[in-house]
Order: sequence, then C-alpha cells, then structure tokens
Amino acid sequence: MSDRIFGALTGLVALAYIVSATQIQEGFLPDPVGSKLFPILVGSIALLCSIAIVIKPDESPDWPGVGTFLSILCAIVALVGYAYTLKPLGFLIPTAVASGIISFLIQRRFLTAVLTGLGLSVGLFVLFKYALGLGLVAFSKNLIG
Amino acid sequence: MEVFSLLADGFAVALTPYSLMLAVAGCIIGTMVGALPGLGPSNGVAILIPLAFSFGLDASQALVLMTSVYYGAMYGGRISSILLNIPGDEPALMTTLDGYPMAKQGRAADALVLSGVASFVGATFATIGLMLLAPILARIAFLFGPAEYFALYLLAFCTLGGMASNNQRKAALAACMGLGIAMIGLDNNSGLPRLTFDSLHLMDGIDFLVAIVGLFAVSEVFIFIESHGKNSAIGVKLGKITIPVKDIVRSFFAMIRASVVGFVAGVLPGAGASLGSFLAYMSEKSISKDKDTFGTGNPRGVAAPEAGNNAAAGGALVPMLTLGVPGSGTTAVLLALLMTLNITPGPLLFIERADLVWGLIATLFIANFVLLILNVPLVRIFVKLLSVPAWVLLPGVTMVSFVGIYSLSGSYFDLLLMIGFGVLGYFLRKIDVPTVPIILGILLGGHMEDNLRRAMVISGGEWTYLFSSPIAIGLWLAAFVGFIAPMFVSKFFKKPQAITD
Amino acid sequence: MKLFKQAGACLLLSVGLLGQATSAECIAPANPGGGWDFTCRSISKIMHDIGAVDKPIQVTNMAGGGGGLAYGHVVNERGSDEELIIAASSATATRLAQNAYAGMTADQVRFLGAIGADPGVIVVGKDSPFNSLTDLLDAVKADPSSVTFAGGSAAGGFDHLKVLMALGRADFTDIAKVKYIGVDGGADAITQTIGGFTQAMTGDISEVVGFLKSGDVRVLAVLTDERIPGEFNDIPTAKEQGIDVVAVNWRGLYVPKDISDEAYNKWSDALAKVGSSDEWAEAMVANGLAPFNKVGDDFAGYLDGVIAEIQTLSKELGVIK
Repeated sequence: MSDRIFGALTGLVALAYIVSATQIQEGFLPDPVGSKLFPILVGSIALLCSIAIVIKPDESPDWPGVGTFLSILCAIVALVGYAYTLKPLGFLIPTAVASGIISFLIQRRFLTAVLTGLGLSVGLFVLFKYALGLGLVAFSKNLIG
Repeated sequence: MEVFSLLADGFAVALTPYSLMLAVAGCIIGTMVGALPGLGPSNGVAILIPLAFSFGLDASQALVLMTSVYYGAMYGGRISSILLNIPGDEPALMTTLDGYPMAKQGRAADALVLSGVASFVGATFATIGLMLLAPILARIAFLFGPAEYFALYLLAFCTLGGMASNNQRKAALAACMGLGIAMIGLDNNSGLPRLTFDSLHLMDGIDFLVAIVGLFAVSEVFIFIESHGKNSAIGVKLGKITIPVKDIVRSFFAMIRASVVGFVAGVLPGAGASLGSFLAYMSEKSISKDKDTFGTGNPRGVAAPEAGNNAAAGGALVPMLTLGVPGSGTTAVLLALLMTLNITPGPLLFIERADLVWGLIATLFIANFVLLILNVPLVRIFVKLLSVPAWVLLPGVTMVSFVGIYSLSGSYFDLLLMIGFGVLGYFLRKIDVPTVPIILGILLGGHMEDNLRRAMVISGGEWTYLFSSPIAIGLWLAAFVGFIAPMFVSKFFKKPQAITD
Repeated sequence: MKLFKQAGACLLLSVGLLGQATSAECIAPANPGGGWDFTCRSISKIMHDIGAVDKPIQVTNMAGGGGGLAYGHVVNERGSDEELIIAASSATATRLAQNAYAGMTADQVRFLGAIGADPGVIVVGKDSPFNSLTDLLDAVKADPSSVTFAGGSAAGGFDHLKVLMALGRADFTDIAKVKYIGVDGGADAITQTIGGFTQAMTGDISEVVGFLKSGDVRVLAVLTDERIPGEFNDIPTAKEQGIDVVAVNWRGLYVPKDISDEAYNKWSDALAKVGSSDEWAEAMVANGLAPFNKVGDDFAGYLDGVIAEIQTLSKELGVIK
C-alpha cells in the first residue's frame, strides 16, 4: 500500500514536472534538442516508473507509530529553527539547544540530553574554531551588545 | 617503465610532511567513520567535503584527505561487524556472517587482525590495479565524443539500477529524481532559467553537496529517532591481540581470489564495494571444500569479504577518475569533491593533472600502510569508539553537517533544502528506494543533457549519430544488458538487501 | 604544523580586523579557484605587498548568477563604498552586453582597468586540412554545416563570439548557421577537436599551451594586436592574415559608481602600480597571461567598443532583442 501511495505521488509530481517543462523558454540558437526535450524525457520516464510501482508494489515497510512521527516532526522543527538562528544568535546557543533536542528525541533522558547539548556545542566550537580555523562566531554581537 | 617514474613523482607529492599528516588524519577519521554504525563512508566523506573547503585545502591536499578517509572507512567497517554483529557500513555486511561467530568463540582479536590483513591485501591489490589499468583507460580519451559520453552515462545509470538494487522500477525512478533536480537552474546552452519557478535561490541550481549531506547524513537522524538508538546487539569482549599466523597463511589465497573478484566488481560503473564483498564471499564459499563451516566462524569467511570490499573500493576509483563515472555511492561523493575543486575527472585528468592523479595513487599506497598499523596493533583504540552512544554521535554528526554546509554557502535556503532532503531521504529509505541513483542523477544530469545536445548540434539533429561509433553501440548494448539481465538472473542470484554503497 | 599556523593566522587576522574595522574588500564574484578568485587574491596581495595600499585587502567570494549576484549587490547596496573593488573579466563585459545581469548595465559601476589578458586563439588538430585562419573561414563560408567549433564557454559566450567576430570580418553574415558546441572548459574543447568530433577549437592560449607543446594541435591564429612575446612568437595574429579581430580575455577590476573621483584615482593608481610590478609579472607567467595594460579612461573607451560589438553580434544571433 505504501508503494501505491508513493507511486501515485511521484506520478503526480512527474506530471507536474512535465507540464512545467513544456513552459520552459526556448533559447535563441540553432540547437536541435532545445531546452525542453531532456526534462520532458526525464519526467516521462519517471512517470512510467511511477505507474510500474503502482501496478507492482513491494510489501509495505513497518511504519512507526504516531508518537515516532511526532518525534521526527519535533526534530525537523528543531533543525529548521537551528538553520534560522545559527547566524543571528551565534554558534553556541543554537547548537546546544538543537543537539540537546535531537539527543533527547533519540534516548529520552533529559539530563544526559542537556549535557550532550552543552558538551557538543562547546566541543565542536573549540574544534572548528581553534583546531580547524573556521570563522565561527560564539555569540552574536546582538546578544552581547 | 613510465608508470614507475610517474609513481615516483607521485610519492614526491604524497610524502611532503603536510600531505602525510593529512593522510594519517584521513585514515584515522576514516576508520572512525567506518567503525561507527550509523556513519557510513558516503556520509563521512560527504560531511567532510564542505569542511575541507573551509580549511582552504588545495586540490591535491583535499583529495589526499578524502581518499584516505574513503579507504579508512572500508577498513573500519569490519570492527563493529565482528564485535557487535552490526555492519559499521554497508560493505561490511558480509563480514558479520563469519566475523561475529568467530568473536563469540572468543577469537575476536584474531578475527580483527585477520580481517585487517585481508583489507590490506585487497586494498593494495586494487591500488596496483588502479595504477596499471587507469592510464590504459585514460588513453582512449580521444575516442570519446558527445555520443559516446551520453551512452556512458546511460550505462552508469543502468548498471546502478540493474545490478545494485533489488527493484529496477525504484532505482530508475530515483535516477529520474536526480536528473530532474539537475535540470533546475540556468540552462547551460541558452543561459535562461529553467524550472526555477522564479526563485532566485534556484537560479544556480541545487548544490549536490546539499543533496548528498541531506539524503545521507540528515536522514540518518530520523532513522535513529525511530529506532531510539536501540541497535546495540550484545558486544563481545576483545582479548589480547596476537597474530593468528596460521589463519592468515591458510586464507592467503582466499584473499587474493577475493581481491580479484572485488576489483572487477568495483570497476563496473555503478556496482561498488557492497557488491564486491558479496561476490567475494559467495565465490569463496562456493569453491570451498568446507562449505558447511561458512557462517559459523570460518576464518576464510572473514578474510574474503574484507579483501573483496577493499579491492572493490579501489576498483571503483578507476571509472571515477578515468571516465568521470563513479563506481559506487562513495565515489559519487568523491566525484562531487572533484567537481567542486574545479577538476573535471575523465581521460584528460591523467594528461593535464598527472601530478594530482599519481599523488593520489601514491597516497593510497601510503594510506594502506598507515591503515594496517591503525587497524592491527592499534585496533583497540577504535574498539573503544563503539561505546560512543547514538544520542551523542547523531546530534554531533548533524551539527557538523550544518556547519559544513553553512560555512560553504552561508545561505539559510541551502540549510532548509538540506533538511528537506533529509526528510525525503528518510521516507525513501523506509520504502526501499535507493538514494545513490539520486545523487548520481544530480551529479551527471547536466553532463548527460549537454552531451546529448552537443551530439545533436554536431550531427545537425540526426538521431542516428548517437549510435554511429562502435564504442557508442557497445556502451548502449552494455547499458541495456546491465539493466535487463538482473531481472532474469535474480531468481538464481539473491542479492543482499539494500545495497546502497 | 601548517594547521596551527593557519589557526594562528586566523586568530591574528581576527584581532587585526577588530583593530581596523574599515579594511578594504575585494569581491570575487565566484567560488574559490576560478579566474575571478585569482584576480582578487593576487591583485589584493600585490597591492598591499608593494605598498600601493596601506592596509591588507580582504577577499570575499560571492558566487551566483555568473557574477550577477555580486554586480547587483554592488549596484544596489554598496553604490558609494570607497573601500570596495570587484574582480571582472571579458565574461563580465559579455554578460553586461547581453543583458544577462537582470537588466543592469555597464554604466552602473565604474571600470577601473585591466592589467593582464589571456589572448584568444583559434586552434585545429595537428592533422587538420586547414593551414591558416583564412582556410578555415573559407570552409565555413562554403558550407557552414561542415565545420563545428568547440569552446569552453556556453553558446553565445565569449568563445563563441570570437569565431563570429572573425567570420564577420571575413564578410560572412549568416552567423546563426555556424555550428558551435560549448563544453566544460578549454581542455575538453581541445580533446573533442583532437578526437575529430569537432573541427576547430576556440579559446584562450593558456588553455592550449600543454597541447601545443605536445604537438597535438596547431594554432591557426592568435587574436591580439601583435604577436605574443616569448616562446609562442611564431604564431601569426589574425590581423596578419587579413582578419582584423582582437579578442582577449582580460583580467581587471571595477568599483562602485558613486565613489569620489579621488577614491577612483587612488584605486586606479594602485592598480597601475600592480600592473607594472615584478610580482604581477611573475603571477602572469604562472597563470598564462599576456601583458595587457589599460587603466582608467583608456580602458573605459576600450570597453565601450567591445560591449557595442558584442551587442551587435548578439542581436544578430538573437541572444538579445
């Protein structure tokens, strides 16, 4: 069943891809293939594969429960937050928070997660900044000043 | 002999103190990467690439570091296979079959030493093979025009889809995903944006490093969240390390045979180290007189797959360096490294950047000796690493990935894209869609289309030009067979699950 | 050791940066490793080493849009920053002429000058039937489909235009019929030509030196005013063969538009000093560049001419309207 849903989804994406490919603006020079053909070709093969997957699916994998999906969602939110705060807040605080959250999501122990977050953030900072010479900012100026 | 003078020049490059330091560092990092379950060679090399740039390494230094990591990972993978019954990386899967039983019999140290020596034999054999074979392949450079290159890329996708996957539909779909992503950005020919949906971020296309790190490293986090890091089987104790001379002598020819098999499997575009170790193990088992003892701790069952996977790892460098077509997932990542360094792999590499290629080959020889030392007398240090828990390792790897990509591009968009690829990678892995063809598609998509278009410009739109030379026809046939044949053979020839390397 | 040195240098650099917040900046509009990056790094370093500027210049890479991202950044956000120089080359001029920088034009910045150039060449394989540039151009005139050119830039790019300029001088005007394939760099273009897949290659001389020495190719013409001094002195120019075309890939700098004349003159003096320094001469030899010194107004005049010609050709090709 998973395969059928997956195949249907990729099939739709492939269709959308083919449609957008037909909208590609052609170039100006004499080029027998042009800008559209290859993307359309790729989209069409993808569409065929999707259909084949829908017709002949594999067995469904063991999907985890709702709880696990919530955990994964938490991790995604943490990572997106990390991506947005890395620059404005400097390296140390976002790294400690993000790695702490991920650590907690993997093993569900609060104290060790906090320690992991702190340890990783300081440890990696020292490694990157002083051993490897990357230009990381510990705390952003907005925070200190 | 020209080869030896070139090799001597290569050693001159590789033996400078700084290069040597990088090689040793690479070997140590590589063995760690290989040993730690959840951090495979593709991952390890992928997250290190952006960092290598940030350190300001030049092309040859970056290559020395990364290929040492690559070889190191192939050695390191066996450690957790033997001690924990968990392959440290995909190619080490076969080593669990006899390695873990051997360890349970109290011979863990013997198994580690034996497999270390086997790795050395396999890798050395492959490096010699690379040295002899690559320049020959490089000489056919001038025979490859646009039509031939197009067919060659097709061959890589077909063998990857056909031989290294259990499901051609899914492998082909994955390849199309990669090719489709590669089309995003400015059209090489017209300079007009394609499929960018008017987003400025997409104008320059999607960086393959972002996709690689997302698909390989970030998705691993989600897999581990699902399993709660509960993958630790019962470990076995490591006794005093001695050299099991008898086992080594007895399995020496097994190692040589496995090296040959592995090397050939590695040279095939798209096959790679997992297939190499699988074929080496199966062929050793099938010619052995004591078939029954395989799977119960037969030393040859430890030696063969390890020699095989290391030989395949070296073999996979041949098509990557000479033709620009990677032989495995990790070499695809190495190809990404070369492209980012502005080095176009392919036949010309041997003419234009001979110093680089021979420096690389010399480094591989040196790395092998360093790895033998690290993995036999000093193996205890790496065994300690296995006690690093997943809840420290995974957040650590993720943070390194972020810093790497961020220091390379400095863009939020790339980080978000990387997370997106991580989520995609998680779902694809759950439903058994291989991710390596995606990477290959992103890497080669642009070249494949460019060559098709060039061929059509030269021929004035005549499609038969694609089949106009014997080389092109041969490659088309090989591609067809490579994709179709496994469908018929698979009944007799059960592949190990989920080869991703 | 080197790692520690690098770490140390980084520390020193950051301390240094704190001390002088107004250090000048050179933007290389591409990733490290390319021509623009080289221009920024070597010119900045030499400028400081020979004392043409008193503070070290910091190099920043800003890749994107073939230089368009950096161009837009300078035009829109740093329009009056007097402590800023940006690397440029023929590619910058070509893209400006072809409107490839989202409508931005060459008069939105001030070009400082160029102090080195990679001369353009037209090359054939050693067994080619063509013995001179006129032979080759005649063949194209007789049957455009019989000759395919390979070059390292995309169709419509500078390598392509070189051929079209030469053909234009030989009174061939149906330029849309000329077959050209853009491959990944000059080396690839040569391999395709040696392999016989394409009949001629157009590129820069630095791209062909290795193959010229090994005897795999012959250079039909170098596209400079005069023959290149030194070991390639025996290669005829296109001009000598009656085809009056000069096309070089120059390396230079531009600055924001609204800086004071004082600042402009300070930078062009500094650039001129670099151009006549021994250090730059060495850097040019190491990177296959030929002398090409046009700084200040002299350069601006040259550039206007080049841009006008590229625009005319591009209009004929249909690259721009």
